[in-house]
Amino acid sequence: MIKNINYWYISSLLVSLLVALPILTVFASFFGTTSEYYELLRNTFLFNYIVNSTIILLGVLLLTFIFGVLSAYFVSFYNFPGVNFFKWALILSFAVPAYIYAYSLTAFFENFGSLFALLKWIFGDGDYNKYIPKFDGMMGAIISMSFSLFGYVYVLTRASFYHQSHNLIEVSKNLGFSAKESFFKIILPSARPAIVAGLSLVAMECLADFGTVSFFNVSTLTTGIYNSWLSYDDLNTANQLSFILLLIIFCLFFTENFSRGGAKYHQPSRGFKRIPKINLQLKKSIFPITFCSFLFFFSFIFPTSQMAYWTFKFPKYFQDISLWSLNLNTLILVFISSLVLIIFSFLINYGNRISKSKFLNYLSLFSISGYAIPGIILAVAFLTFFSWLSDFLVLNLGFGSIKKFFIGSILGLVLAYFIRFYSLAFNGIKSNYLKINQSIDESSYLLGYTKFRTFRKIHLPYLKNSILLIGILIAIEIIKELPITLILRPFNFDTFSTKAYAYASQDLLEAAALPSLFLIFWAGLLIFITSKYILSEK
Amino acid sequence: MFNNFLEIQNTTFVASKLNKVLDFNLTIKNEGDIICLLGPSGIGKTTILRSIAGLQKIPKGVISLKGKVLSSEKEHIEPENRNIALSFQDNSLFPHYTILENINFGAKRNRDAKYNFNVNELIKVLHLEGLEEKYPHQVSAGEAQRVSLARSLMSNPDLLLLDEPFSNIDESLKVELQQNIKKILKEKKITTIIVTHDSYEAFYMADYCGILLSQTMKQYDTPYNIHHYPNSIEVVNFLNRGILVDAKVLNDNSVEHKCLGIIKGNFVNKYKKGTAVKLLVQPEDLEHDDKSDLKLEVIDKKFRGTNFIYSLKTDNDDIIPVFVHSHHIHQHEVEEKFGVKTPIYIDHLVCF
Repeated sequence: MIKNINYWYISSLLVSLLVALPILTVFASFFGTTSEYYELLRNTFLFNYIVNSTIILLGVLLLTFIFGVLSAYFVSFYNFPGVNFFKWALILSFAVPAYIYAYSLTAFFENFGSLFALLKWIFGDGDYNKYIPKFDGMMGAIISMSFSLFGYVYVLTRASFYHQSHNLIEVSKNLGFSAKESFFKIILPSARPAIVAGLSLVAMECLADFGTVSFFNVSTLTTGIYNSWLSYDDLNTANQLSFILLLIIFCLFFTENFSRGGAKYHQPSRGFKRIPKINLQLKKSIFPITFCSFLFFFSFIFPTSQMAYWTFKFPKYFQDISLWSLNLNTLILVFISSLVLIIFSFLINYGNRISKSKFLNYLSLFSISGYAIPGIILAVAFLTFFSWLSDFLVLNLGFGSIKKFFIGSILGLVLAYFIRFYSLAFNGIKSNYLKINQSIDESSYLLGYTKFRTFRKIHLPYLKNSILLIGILIAIEIIKELPITLILRPFNFDTFSTKAYAYASQDLLEAAALPSLFLIFWAGLLIFITSKYILSEK
Repeated sequence: MFNNFLEIQNTTFVASKLNKVLDFNLTIKNEGDIICLLGPSGIGKTTILRSIAGLQKIPKGVISLKGKVLSSEKEHIEPENRNIALSFQDNSLFPHYTILENINFGAKRNRDAKYNFNVNELIKVLHLEGLEEKYPHQVSAGEAQRVSLARSLMSNPDLLLLDEPFSNIDESLKVELQQNIKKILKEKKITTIIVTHDSYEAFYMADYCGILLSQTMKQYDTPYNIHHYPNSIEVVNFLNRGILVDAKVLNDNSVEHKCLGIIKGNFVNKYKKGTAVKLLVQPEDLEHDDKSDLKLEVIDKKFRGTNFIYSLKTDNDDIIPVFVHSHHIHQHEVEEKFGVKTPIYIDHLVCF
């Protein structure tokens, strides 16, 4: 018995330590020395970084709030032509990462871009460039992120609407509220925890974004971190910038967790019944249809078709880019990472379950914080830590350098993914594990099944589907992931995202189209497969 | 040392920090006996079952089965090695297996096939026909409870523990199921402990009943004795099958009540002449007689199908229940006067 507990403790402790690495490193760096660059930065750009990050954040929050809540409201409460299509089509926006959206936006509106070509084709030659609006810089970043992130607000708000407000709408009618009044006074407040949770997720993603702001040349905290590492080779400055960003992010992280806790009370009781939606007459349904079509078009169709158009317009990149190796690399990363993530989250969950130790529970809570850490911070902290560890071992113990095992290797990449996505896997398995009543385990023991056989015969078959699902969700995240892969990948090892980024940063957008299209395709396919789940809980 | 089939000695059961059962003793002499533990909700009945099954440890005492110690302060045999089946009150079916697979999960134990159940027979007896291929979420709570019972029976347990086995089952089906299950348990000689808060159920099913009140076992006896010879005021109040009225002992076969007059009968315990006692009066003790001079005011009347229970108020404000057959020629309404046959004779006078 005691042996067992020790085993669970050690594995839990290891995972928690690993996940805590980036945070600890960032904190430790506070005491490290920095180059003059830091002084320079603090006196000149730092304020600018924070202002830019804040402006983008506010813009994105405003747009995602409008997009997400309105669309969720329409598809949850009303019947209009195409409602069932829009219901799941809107989550396809998850397939387009903000940085790829940024490429399409630029490709379409730039001088002599796709819009120019379109106008020329329709109206003949002309000097259209000065009439075409330019979406770049801050504006471009806000638009790109809003269209690619509003899905979080949409999904969470919809789930909240779905579960509760149907009787509320009847009650409010009964009390004599008009449709508008009941929306603002009853429906919106009732979904507040879900909306706040969704917006906090958006905010975290927005602050963590690296690809978009770097493409539009907006100086924010994330690009600052990246530049201090790449251009000035000053990891300590990078980590101290990370510290500022982390403080903001952790505030959001707690808001999100807190709001989710609040949202739990709104779960349906036993007698939950769905009340039919309100049928809209044709005239009244024009606005919902237009709005949903607008969202669907701009969040998915627009970037996808832009990328597809360029892919086929410049077919020479089919030869330049080794598609096969991009697919293979992505597959390898997805496969190894999902496997490791799922095995560990299973192990820890099972340990928590049978040992019933409070300490283990707290430890595992701590270890899911990795999710909140932006990829760029994680990658830089990861570099810092292993450089330090390697130097330490070389100096003190006479080891050879171990850097190469962790930095620029598949192992390092998988470890970093592990830290980043552990909470996704852990929580996914945990929430499904909680559905297995403790008395079910007990029944199994009473029927003569040992703990291991209970695990094999009862738990494993029951969780089979959710394991697959979690694997797919991890795959989507890894396919879209940019900064970690960019910084920690082995030399000449590319995924769709790094390839697209590399071309885009060389101003070769037409070459970025092919890997981008593939990225959207794979992510979209996986989202399509799991749409039922994404729309039900998450 | 332990010659009885099941022995629980001076055991403490801990349900929660505030809720404990102290110094609990229970002996089941013969294999095949059915025991009911009766008590209000939240008293710790379920904890006792869980501890016997080995799902919880005991801080003090000894539990032994067939002469072998299962739990004590030092020892604890894991539940999977006990061969004791517990049928939970809430749904504990394996959600990803069909009803039939769930039931068959029990069959895999069969360590020493003392008796063998045929699955189909069991399904029929417990009225689970047509559910075999369904999944637990597709059946009702009552059906799930029966499946859980079937699964427990299939595992050929040495001791069967049932936690409120009929709580979710329709009244009409309940009676039939109680009959069927009692028959099976008796035929196959399965020693069973049933926990319930329904005294009718306990009295029907059990060879012996234990009454659990305020952290301890107040009385352990046959159902007949528990009903007719409750050993304390708490037990009387819990069973709620009669009321206690003030009376004075006249001699060794009668007492006097201020309003009802002299009541004759045999004392269960001896009292000195002149002692003031509380006498138990149960609904079947008094008889209705329209011609009687003793008239009491009706303050309530409950229709119970085969009979009415009238609540009568005496001059000194005691409320006394009386059974009257429901085919009795004329009915008495509230506030009317109601005749009670005198002299009153109660076979056994239970006094405190």
